[in-house]
Amino acid sequence: MKISNKQYAESLYEAISGKSDQEIKKSIHNFGLILMRQNDLNRGTEIIESFQKLWDKEHGELSAELDSARELEPEAKKIIIEYLTKKTNALKINLQEKINKKLLGGFILRYNSRVLDGSLLNNLVNLKNKISN
Amino acid sequence: MSTTKDFIVEQLKEEISGFKVKATEQSVGKVLKIFDGIALVSGLSEAMMSEILVFKTSQGEVTGVALNLEENQVGVIVFGDYTAIKEGDEVIATKRILEVPVGEALIGRVVDPLGDPLDGKGKINTTKFYPIEKIAPGVITRDPVKQPVQTGIKAIDAMIPIGRGQRELIIGDRQIGKTAIAIDTIINQKGQNMKCVYVAIGQKESKVANIVTKLEEAGAMEYTTVVLAGASTSASLLYISPYSGCAMAEYFLDKGEDVLVVYDDLSKHAVSYREISLLLRRPPGREAYPGDVFYLHSRLLERSCKLNKEYGGGSITALPIIETQAGDLSAYIPTNVISITDGQIFLEPDLFYKGNRPAVNAGLSVSRVGSAAQIKAMKKVAGKMRLEAAQYRELAAFAQFGSDLDVDTKNKLNRGERLYEIFKQDQYQPLEVAKQVLIYYVLINGFMDDVPVEKVREFEAGLYKYADLHDELLKMINDKKELDEEIEKTMKTLISDYKITVDYLVK
Repeated sequence: MKISNKQYAESLYEAISGKSDQEIKKSIHNFGLILMRQNDLNRGTEIIESFQKLWDKEHGELSAELDSARELEPEAKKIIIEYLTKKTNALKINLQEKINKKLLGGFILRYNSRVLDGSLLNNLVNLKNKISN
Repeated sequence: MSTTKDFIVEQLKEEISGFKVKATEQSVGKVLKIFDGIALVSGLSEAMMSEILVFKTSQGEVTGVALNLEENQVGVIVFGDYTAIKEGDEVIATKRILEVPVGEALIGRVVDPLGDPLDGKGKINTTKFYPIEKIAPGVITRDPVKQPVQTGIKAIDAMIPIGRGQRELIIGDRQIGKTAIAIDTIINQKGQNMKCVYVAIGQKESKVANIVTKLEEAGAMEYTTVVLAGASTSASLLYISPYSGCAMAEYFLDKGEDVLVVYDDLSKHAVSYREISLLLRRPPGREAYPGDVFYLHSRLLERSCKLNKEYGGGSITALPIIETQAGDLSAYIPTNVISITDGQIFLEPDLFYKGNRPAVNAGLSVSRVGSAAQIKAMKKVAGKMRLEAAQYRELAAFAQFGSDLDVDTKNKLNRGERLYEIFKQDQYQPLEVAKQVLIYYVLINGFMDDVPVEKVREFEAGLYKYADLHDELLKMINDKKELDEEIEKTMKTLISDYKITVDYLVK
């Protein structure tokens, strides 16, 4: 039977939980060998993605991407983190920030297959659509 | 001039100041795979079945519909140009189920399955939308089928009557007049208080163009909508086309009107669904169709109905068409659709090539609603017509072997020959019901026994002209809808008067 990415990630998580760094290293090496034997090395990226998701879920962490036109003020960032905590009940939020000048202003927040588009670009496009229809 | 300018500026200001900047959260996904009009999308954890999804591509937006909801991905069929979509493109869920524009504005138009115009007559102005998938009306909302749909085709109105709210299958090989029956029926609905929807599924666009021209010439586009998914359209649009045609009909149903929908044809629809299902990796079954191909057609045809007074009293009559291969009625799709519908009109190649057109096979064609959907006058003259027609064909085959026949058999053969002559009818020439009653009355009462077989059609045409000149009889039949003594008396005098004027009678 084909082993799914999620199943790989789950078994790796189980193998390394509660282990020391040395043991984890060994487990990961063995995991690599299993992938090779199963001819599944090409699925590495997807498996890592699943593993990250699983880790976040187990530890109450949340990875989010934040694109903004300019560097956001700490005050604004705080509001965003508060918003995410309230929405997802996550204990820790890993915010990956990126500067994207094309947005003109505002920001786009991405987390858990959801997007909050508060950019000036998006608002201008919406205004254009509203006027032209 | 300046006032106009001021007005425009004012409007613009109002529009812009009224625009509220808001950021709403949206559910998004990423394209994992895209192939043959199917996209596999990750994320979209909240996607609904048949929800509209928008692909943000470098060449603009492309829409699709969620068809497979799986644990880690969503299977999407793409409408429009799927080659513009690239792996990794963003997909946004719109929280809207697939819907089409409906309303009076669609009458007289040719549209694609999404309701966009194809006839170059401009935008369709309507604000109403109906979902393309809908649960069929339940049992308490329905009424028995009792009003007739006059097809204007003599063989059908007499032998296989169709009622408003019925589903009557038209089945036969290719190039044998299946579409012709449907089109004649649409043409004959003029002045009968009926809206029509013609759904062309996988038809050649040249054929559809011909049909639209014919309908326009006959003035039938005044009450008809054509939904066109041509042969070059993607399987996803072919798949939704009958459902969107049905949604357009349901608008009139809800207004309490009668609608006739023609699905031309459902075999191609099944093939397009098979294509989609195989691409979505659903397990194939018999003839490689997926397991739910029966439900595909039953849920569509079940939406045809006759509603009772409390629910508006409207109706949707469906004329699905199925193309058989070499007359094989026992293939998968034909048997399925035969069992779903309330009867079938079976067209036979042998009859067609003998010149009996429409080539309706009297033995294999049935209408399960039966004579409930006939006016009383027609019931009286055409009661045993189907039996007689079927018996004649058997007898004729048998009589080829021997020349010595008793008088009774000879009479039956003579009557049958003339009956089959009457069944012959040219395309695009539907006949009103009063004239049908007249000609059948002539036949069953033996007034035609002295007309030579080869002169029957000439006799018939002359009789109609004569009846048009003395139109009080046709008026009486149309008003009373039954044969009383007075009408019969008038009819007899008219026939004998007419027979004096013809010179080819056999003494």
